[in-house]
Amino acid sequence: MEEGQPHVGEVIESSTMEFTAESRVLHGAPPFGAFVKIDSYPVVFAIVYAVATQSIEPNRKPTAYGKTEEELRLEQPQIFELLRTEFTSLIIGYRDDTGIFQCLPPQPPRIHGFVHFCSADEITSFTERSHYLRPIFNQARVPSDELTIAAIGNACRARGNNGQYLVRAGKEVARLLKDDYDRLHSILERIHV
Amino acid sequence: MLDHIATKEQINTMVREQRTVRKSTGNLRERAYQEARRWTVDWQHLADKVRRSNPSWLVAHILEPLTLTRACPDRPAELTVLATDGSQLFPDRHEISSCYLINVGTVVIHYGTGERPRLDSRPSLFFSEEDLFVNWGGKRLPVNAEIVGIQRSVMELSKLADLMDEIPSPGRKAVALADGSLIEWTLEGKPDDFKEDNLLALLAAFDAFESRQIPVAGYISSPNSADVVNALRVGLCPESVVSACDNCPQRAHHPDTPPCQVVEGITDKALFERILRGAGERSVLFRSSSEILSEYGRHRIYFFYVNVGYEIARVEVPEWVAQDTGLLGLVHTTACDQVQKGKGYPIILSEAHEKAVVRNADRDLFYRLLSDSFVVGGVRSEVSRKSISKRRLMI
Repeated sequence: MEEGQPHVGEVIESSTMEFTAESRVLHGAPPFGAFVKIDSYPVVFAIVYAVATQSIEPNRKPTAYGKTEEELRLEQPQIFELLRTEFTSLIIGYRDDTGIFQCLPPQPPRIHGFVHFCSADEITSFTERSHYLRPIFNQARVPSDELTIAAIGNACRARGNNGQYLVRAGKEVARLLKDDYDRLHSILERIHV
Repeated sequence: MLDHIATKEQINTMVREQRTVRKSTGNLRERAYQEARRWTVDWQHLADKVRRSNPSWLVAHILEPLTLTRACPDRPAELTVLATDGSQLFPDRHEISSCYLINVGTVVIHYGTGERPRLDSRPSLFFSEEDLFVNWGGKRLPVNAEIVGIQRSVMELSKLADLMDEIPSPGRKAVALADGSLIEWTLEGKPDDFKEDNLLALLAAFDAFESRQIPVAGYISSPNSADVVNALRVGLCPESVVSACDNCPQRAHHPDTPPCQVVEGITDKALFERILRGAGERSVLFRSSSEILSEYGRHRIYFFYVNVGYEIARVEVPEWVAQDTGLLGLVHTTACDQVQKGKGYPIILSEAHEKAVVRNADRDLFYRLLSDSFVVGGVRSEVSRKSISKRRLMI
């Protein structure tokens, strides 16, 4: 995706399996299913699975104004300073001097680390093997089917809509779902590239 | 520990008494309104009498027929509004250090332009010998809550003047809003040295506003003042010059109810609820007779009441704003627009308050940081036994 762009977010909560970042721009989170990385050593790879915009202060709730966003920006501009967009990403691997690994990094990302979009090349090399799909199915709080669809779609687009990749990824999903044909069918049907 | 049952019984008594008071307010309001109308033509007589009199209450100087109203002018499409508000941690000699903190919230919002607003707060810690003692009638007096309160008001106005630097272009219309009164009446009766130190800072801020022709206004929600009603009381007094009300000469003829008492007990707010019937309407201007204003020079404070749609609010402005129709209209329309945006209270003052407020959790954290830093810095410090006993209670 976009190379040489400023960071898209900054880590504000971090743990072994996932991290939450505050979007640099309001409503500017990466899309659901986007491959992102944290430029640290090792470089941590993750997939965005939840995006939320809410009030900065826990005791203040946004209220309805009955105005368009344009009108609000002109006449109630302060409200946009009181909101923030956060996104949470599932960690799916890392890269160090020795190579790319589709398993959890030894340490979680650091708080305040900058989050960037992965480039098409990075997505291509990271998704060369499809084991990264396994943690998506193992996390109860992640919308697994939807995230698999989005991730495979993105990996395929990074390869210029390569059909061979789609077949490989489809086989991996079939392996993960064993004999749950209905679910497999529903996932494969919905991948649009 | 609060005894809830005993408290509730007293609340019940209070509510019963206030219900009676409320009923009589309606009649008083009508009486006051009729009295105000009585002076419609002959208002200059009343103005003269007020000027000559020296009653024991605060009286508004009348400058125009007092039941006239003014409609709200249109707001300029592009407008910058500035506001500050402050809060403080008072010096507490039972705590680890008797330092104190003033936190000023500053907000700049640009309307109609899409420019990014700025919401900020800046804490100031006062800890030096110079900060902790003030000049007080030739003596050095440790600061107390009242002194910190005055210092905070002065800081709020000074920082408000500093915010003028954030107005993006010289041609941009702008209004500075302060929370509460611009009349620093708490300085009245204070020793000259203390009064002068604070007045200098206040007047410097007013000078800055005047030199850049940015109108500054104090917004008072739910005002409790009765300056205009008191002027009506002056009008009701049969004496040609009203003074020495504590020994009212009329009591000889009317021992129970001196004539001025027929409107006593209601506020200007109640009177103007009757006069200002349309949302956005403001009253005519009045000049405050607060004693401290004799020290304000050309920044003497004038005020008007305005129906902001949700309530009657009081807005105070310095003399040079009061005398400039353009600036005064700008203040009027900004006040109404701000209240509409904030659904009852100027949005920018709400935001400034949110930025300024120091909550209990902040206070606890402040003292924890303080004690940790003292330990790290190797400074010996002690929390008083009283403060410790409040934190750890024995059973």
